[in-house]
Amino acid sequence: MIYLDNAATSFPKPEAVYRELQDYLRRDGANPGRGGHQWAVRVEKTMDDTRNLLARFFGLDDHRRVIFTLNGTDSLNMAIKGVVQPGDHVVTSLLEHNSVSRPLRQLESDGRIRLTQLPFSQEGFVDPEDFRRALTSRTRLVVLLHASNVLGTLQPVAEVGRICRRHEALFLVDAAQTAGIVPIDMQAMGIDLLAIPGHKALFGPPGTGVLLVGHRVEPLPWREGGTGFDSEAPLQPRSLPHLLEGGTPNTLGVAGLRAGLRFVTGEGLDRIRGHERRLLARLTESLRDNPRICLYGSLDTHRRVGSLAFNQEGYTASEVGMILDNSFEIAVRPGLHCAPYLHRELGTAPEGAVRISPGYFNTEDDIDRCLSALEQL
Amino acid sequence: MSDLPSRYSRQILFAEIGTAGQKRLLGSRVVIVGCGALGTVQAEALTRAGVGRLRLIDRDFIEESNLQRQTLFTEEDVRESLPKAVAATRRLQAINSSVAVEARVKDLNYRNAESLLEGADCILDGTDNFEARFLLNDVSQKQRIPWIYGAAVGSEGLTMTIVPGRTPCLRCVFESPPPPGTTPTCDTAGVLAPAVNLVASLQVAEALKILTGRLERVNHSLVSLDVWRNTWRRLEIESGRASGDCPACHLGRYDFLEGERESLAAVLCGRDSVQISQAPGKQLDFPQLGRRLEPLGSVSYNRFLLRFRLKEIEIAVFPDGRSIVKGTRDPQEARSLYSRYIGN
Repeated sequence: MIYLDNAATSFPKPEAVYRELQDYLRRDGANPGRGGHQWAVRVEKTMDDTRNLLARFFGLDDHRRVIFTLNGTDSLNMAIKGVVQPGDHVVTSLLEHNSVSRPLRQLESDGRIRLTQLPFSQEGFVDPEDFRRALTSRTRLVVLLHASNVLGTLQPVAEVGRICRRHEALFLVDAAQTAGIVPIDMQAMGIDLLAIPGHKALFGPPGTGVLLVGHRVEPLPWREGGTGFDSEAPLQPRSLPHLLEGGTPNTLGVAGLRAGLRFVTGEGLDRIRGHERRLLARLTESLRDNPRICLYGSLDTHRRVGSLAFNQEGYTASEVGMILDNSFEIAVRPGLHCAPYLHRELGTAPEGAVRISPGYFNTEDDIDRCLSALEQL
Repeated sequence: MSDLPSRYSRQILFAEIGTAGQKRLLGSRVVIVGCGALGTVQAEALTRAGVGRLRLIDRDFIEESNLQRQTLFTEEDVRESLPKAVAATRRLQAINSSVAVEARVKDLNYRNAESLLEGADCILDGTDNFEARFLLNDVSQKQRIPWIYGAAVGSEGLTMTIVPGRTPCLRCVFESPPPPGTTPTCDTAGVLAPAVNLVASLQVAEALKILTGRLERVNHSLVSLDVWRNTWRRLEIESGRASGDCPACHLGRYDFLEGERESLAAVLCGRDSVQISQAPGKQLDFPQLGRRLEPLGSVSYNRFLLRFRLKEIEIAVFPDGRSIVKGTRDPQEARSLYSRYIGN
């Protein structure tokens, strides 16, 4: 089986991640901070250490502002619902994944916020000018993805970040497709909240996610519970990360995520991105010459990450997906990719498109076999 | 006989049933799975015979093409496009109001099978697919409930009675269901009402024996008949698995109830389509399947997929039997269409 669905979740994981998950569960099965015995302390240390690595990796100067979550969706919900207040205006784009547009549309439909969804170009990019024009004094939050999960196109996050700072709006970035591939510096890019799944290009296990909370944000928790200290306090401690992390955390997942992050820093983003770009270039160069294939979004590999969306003449997207799986043992993702607004704008709704998303562990041979399959259709 | 209603008098006069048998019948609970051609004949006969409680399970809605053989339905039911189980219940209550008839508009699957069939004294098979039958067989063995297999297509019919502990079971005869897309169905090969009625009547006779406690009268053979080619065969199946290694009735392994062999139906993104995923089987023979479907609608295929179009429904079948059913968002309906046209 050739796995080309890394935009959904990365597979395989680095050996070190498998090893760590196995060892950790045998070695450090205690609850962090609870009880103060040596195991608990060691687990707390793992959590802290991982927060540190993440803070440094994403340009945040306080590791206590690194919050562990369930996944990217959980991080985004925690961020959105933790900062917006009734009457707020929120600005986002039509590129977004349902993990952003659904919570926002729900808040809008409940009458709690006013929402603006900004368009994108034929190439698949938003225009920072549109954000400048959309922001008002009531705009509390701007939400934008770093790269489209369908088109792979990288968005002008730093420019939008600068605009948000000028307008006192908070800036939440969904880095689901870029964390672990493209450098992200929260301070330099003006990002207030960075939402990241742990199981994609950071190579952590499923069930891991991170929310990095900048200094301009004072979020409210959506749940309260045990923190392992300060138990006599009737209310949730106000200090981060505990404010947002009630309950036993996924320590195993965090340990796996740490191993994944160490792998990424060991390899280096240049090398990881370079490999993905080479695979993507091989893919696009061949597919753009195939008259029966329609590619979507910019093909400039400097302005995108490893997701390529297309449709094949004579077949629906789900049929192409099924044929690649059934006759060629190749896993890709057909459909709307949880991005219904994007597909509507592209004119590919409701069937959507086929998405090929290579990862760091794919080879040129994988790409060639996929290309050969598509030629045979 | 005095305390029993006179409507059952002819049945009570039949010595091997008698008053005692009728009383047992009146206290019995029966489940009929599938309320199509077989199921409606079974349900009417058992309602008239006077069972105590009758549960009808069916996922489909009545269509005009059902009227040729599905005896409980009328043109009015088609106009109302009622669920089969609901229309049948209405009719059965008019036939015999003392029977407690209950309609369940449901797709029998491994998650609900045990609760839907629990407490039955006998289960009658009126289904149109093997997946459901193997599931019935597992529940029957696990809960020790007798069930009566029945099937009819074209002019042919098959039936077999399974009494746990006394007779071989379905898996003694067939280790596993035939691969999807390899067997004719009523929607591809047609079916004659007399073939259905014969099979259903034989099933009802077996049910009456079981429900009145006459287990010694139960037929131990697989009956195979053809009302057009005039054959009637009894296949002895006692020795089917003499080695004692039937996964269900000897080893107590209920593979179908575990759900591992069940096809999955998932609603896809996009225009009303549902993906049916079968457990991987052997590669489908597209030319053969194409020949079966051609008389019904438009068929086209290459080596990667076969497309079958019938009015607003389209089914794309892939070589390992997995399919995309387009024209519905309802997994239940998609599974039903898959059973009817591809066969599983």
